[in-house]
Amino acid sequence: MTTLELLSEAVASGKSKDAKALVQRALDEGTAPVEIVDRALVPAMASVGEQFKNNLIFVPEMLIAARAMKEAMSLLEPKLLAAGITPKYTAVIGTVQGDLHDIGKNLVAIMWKGANFRVIDLGTNVSPAKFVAAVVEHKAQLVGLSALLTTTMPAIVETVKAIRGGVGQAVKIMVGGAPVTQQFADEIGADGYAPDAGSAVDRAQALVGAA
Amino acid sequence: MKDPGHHMTDDGVHIQWPDGSPELRLPPASPLHGNLAERIARAGRPLNTRCGQRGLCAGCTVELVTGSFHEKNGAVIPAPAAVKACQGDVSAGEGATMVVPIRSLAVHSPQVVSSFKVNIPAAQDPSVPVVAGSRDHGLAIDVGTTTVVVALVDLATGAIVGDASALNRQVEMGDNVLTRIQLAGEQKARIALQDAIVKRTIEPLVREVCSAAGVGPERLAGAVVAGNTTMLHLLTGTDPTPMGVAPFRAPFTDHRILAAGELGMREIPAGAPVHLLPGFSAYVGADLVAGAMCTGLFTEPGPSLLVDIGTNGEIVLCHDGRLLATATAAGPAFEGGRLSNGTRAVAGAVERIAFPDGRFPPAIEVIGGARRAIGICGSGYVDFLGLGRRIGLLTPNGRLNGDAWEALPPEHRHAEGGSRGVVLNPREPATTITEADIAHLLQAKAAIAAGILALLRRAGLAPGDIRRVHLAGGFGLHIDVAHAIGCGLLPGFVPSQVEAVGNTSLGGAWLALVDRGILTEMTAHATAAEIVELNLEPGFEDSFIDQLALP
Repeated sequence: MTTLELLSEAVASGKSKDAKALVQRALDEGTAPVEIVDRALVPAMASVGEQFKNNLIFVPEMLIAARAMKEAMSLLEPKLLAAGITPKYTAVIGTVQGDLHDIGKNLVAIMWKGANFRVIDLGTNVSPAKFVAAVVEHKAQLVGLSALLTTTMPAIVETVKAIRGGVGQAVKIMVGGAPVTQQFADEIGADGYAPDAGSAVDRAQALVGAA
Repeated sequence: MKDPGHHMTDDGVHIQWPDGSPELRLPPASPLHGNLAERIARAGRPLNTRCGQRGLCAGCTVELVTGSFHEKNGAVIPAPAAVKACQGDVSAGEGATMVVPIRSLAVHSPQVVSSFKVNIPAAQDPSVPVVAGSRDHGLAIDVGTTTVVVALVDLATGAIVGDASALNRQVEMGDNVLTRIQLAGEQKARIALQDAIVKRTIEPLVREVCSAAGVGPERLAGAVVAGNTTMLHLLTGTDPTPMGVAPFRAPFTDHRILAAGELGMREIPAGAPVHLLPGFSAYVGADLVAGAMCTGLFTEPGPSLLVDIGTNGEIVLCHDGRLLATATAAGPAFEGGRLSNGTRAVAGAVERIAFPDGRFPPAIEVIGGARRAIGICGSGYVDFLGLGRRIGLLTPNGRLNGDAWEALPPEHRHAEGGSRGVVLNPREPATTITEADIAHLLQAKAAIAAGILALLRRAGLAPGDIRRVHLAGGFGLHIDVAHAIGCGLLPGFVPSQVEAVGNTSLGGAWLALVDRGILTEMTAHATAAEIVELNLEPGFEDSFIDQLALP
C-alpha cells in the first residue's frame, strides 16, 4: 500500500500515532499537503461517515477516528495556511450560550473538516453576537449551533434570531445536539438538522451546494 | 398533510383509555412543550417510557384513530396507525384522536435501596427537639430523582424502626433533572412538581412507615432530608432555572431548616423542623455530602474517593484535607436506558451474568428469581463487559470478535440488518445484547472513568494511591467490583480498594438526624470543596476517548 493509503486506513481505524507518523512520511516523500488532505484524509472521513450511517461503526469508534483525523490535520493546517490554500466553503460552529458540552460539537467540526470545509470553531458558551460577528468576519456559508441540555435550547432560538437579524438568509444555519429534533429545527427557522455527526456532513454539503 | 376526506371539528388532541376513564384532551402540538408522551405524562397518565424515550422499546405505543403523527425525524404518519408517543407529536394545527392500550400505561416497581453502611461513629443527640414518650421519633428522607426512601427512626435509641421506598412521582413529568429544571421555570409546573414530591410521594411513604411501625405521626419530632440539589429546590418550590445554564449556579446549597407546615408536609406536626442538608454545588448535591459523611471520607486517612453511579455520575475526592468534587454525564445506560433490552434493577431483570468454563451458554441470575427475564440491568451489563474481554468475545473497541461470534451456538447469535449481538438465553427473548448497546455502555463507563481520572490528575494522584473507593448507590451495591474494574468503569483500581456502601445519602440523613453535631460538620466540608467542571478541564475529552476502550 502507498503511504497515503496507509494513512487513510490509520485515520479511519483511529490510530492517532500511526496517522501522525504517516503524515510526516508523506511530507518527507514530497507529497503536497493539499494532496494528503484530498487523497487520504477526506476519503478516510468519508468512509467513517458512511460506515457510521450503515451501523457498521458506532460513536466510540467515530470519536477515536476523529481524534486521529485531528492529530493528522494539526500537522497539515499550518502548511496549508502558509501556502494560502483554503477550502471553498467556510463553516462557523459553536455550542450555544449557557452550555459547556462540546464533545458532540467537536466531532461535527472534525467531520466537516474531513469533508473539506474550513471550520471556525468558536468553542462553548458562545453568545449570539459572537456567532454573528464570526459569520460576517469569515464570510461563512454555514453556521452550526449545538446544545446538549434541554435547558439551553432557548439559546438556539435566540442565536438563530440574531443571525437572521444580522445577515438574513446569507448563511445556512444547522442545529443539533441531544435534545434537538427536526421538528424543533423547522419551528425555529433553521435550514438544517442532523441527528448525528455522520449525517451532519451530508446535510452541510447539501445546504452549501457542495454535494 | 391533511387527509382531505376527513373533516376535523377542532384542532385538539383527544385521548381515550382502555379502562373507560374520561377522555383526556390536550391542546394542539408545539415542539416547545415536548413530545406526545411527555405531554400525556404531564396530564397525569404516564406512559411506559422504559427506554428513556429513545424509541427503542414499544412501551409508549398509542393507536392513532384520526389525524396524523409527525415524527421528530420529519416523517408524517397518517391514521390509522400505531405510533410511539415519545418519537414526536400529532401534526401541528390538526386535530387527532387516539386510544392508549393497557400495556402502554406505566406500572411502577421501584427497587428497595434503604440499606446502607455507616463507617463513622455518631452521638445520640438528635437535631430535632425530642419530648420523651410523646414526640420521640424522626424521619430520615432521601429524595432521589427516581426513587425516594423514608426511614422512621426511634430518637431515644437511634434505631431505624421501619422504612419504605417509592418511585418519585415527579417522574411522570420528566425522567431526568434537566427536564424538571426546565419545567420548573414556570410557576404552575413548579407547584405541580412540589405537590408530586411532597403530597404524592413523601406523604404516603410517611403514612406507610408510621402505620407499619405502629407509631402515630403526631409523635414525629422532625425530619432530615438529603437529595440532589435539583430535588431540594423542587421540594421547597424554589425556581431552579439558573442551574440549567452555565455557569450552573444553584439558588441555594446551604443547610436550611423549615417548618413541616411551610413545606406542606401535612403528616408531620406543622411546627416540627425539617432540615435540608447542605450540598457541594448544583450538580454535586446534599446526597453526596451525606454520602461523604456516612462513609467517613472526610475524616479517614485518605486519599479516598466516593463514586455514585447514576445518570449523572458524581465523584468526590478527599486528599490531605483537600476536597474535589465533580459530576459527569454518564447518561441512562447503566439504568437500562437506550439499550435494546435494558431495564432498571427491578424484579425480572438479569442482574448477574457468568461464563462457566469461559464460554457460552452463560449462567444468568434474575432479580427476585422470576421465571421470565424482562430485560438486563446495569450490574448484568457490567458483568458482560468485564467478562466479555476475558473470554475473547469482545475486542478492545467493544466489538464482537468475528471468529468468536461465528463460533457461538447459532441460537446465541443475534443478527439484524448488519447489526450483530448475542442472546444470553435463547428461550428468553429479552436477553439480547447488541454491538450498539455495547457502544452506549462504553460511553457511559468512559464518562465515569474520565471523571475519576480528572479528579486524580488535579490532585496529582494515580489510582494505586487511593486507599479506599466508596461505591455508593443501589447500583454500586449490586455490581461485581472485579468486573467494574475489568471493564474500566473503575479504571486502574484493584478490588481490595473498593467497598460498596449502599444508599449513603439516606445514611447521611440518618446520621444528621441522630447527631446534631454532624450538621455543622457537613456545612464546613460542603463549603470547602473545589468544584471541577469537567467540560472546562484540559484533557478531559482526550481522556474520555481513551477510556472508551475495554482494557
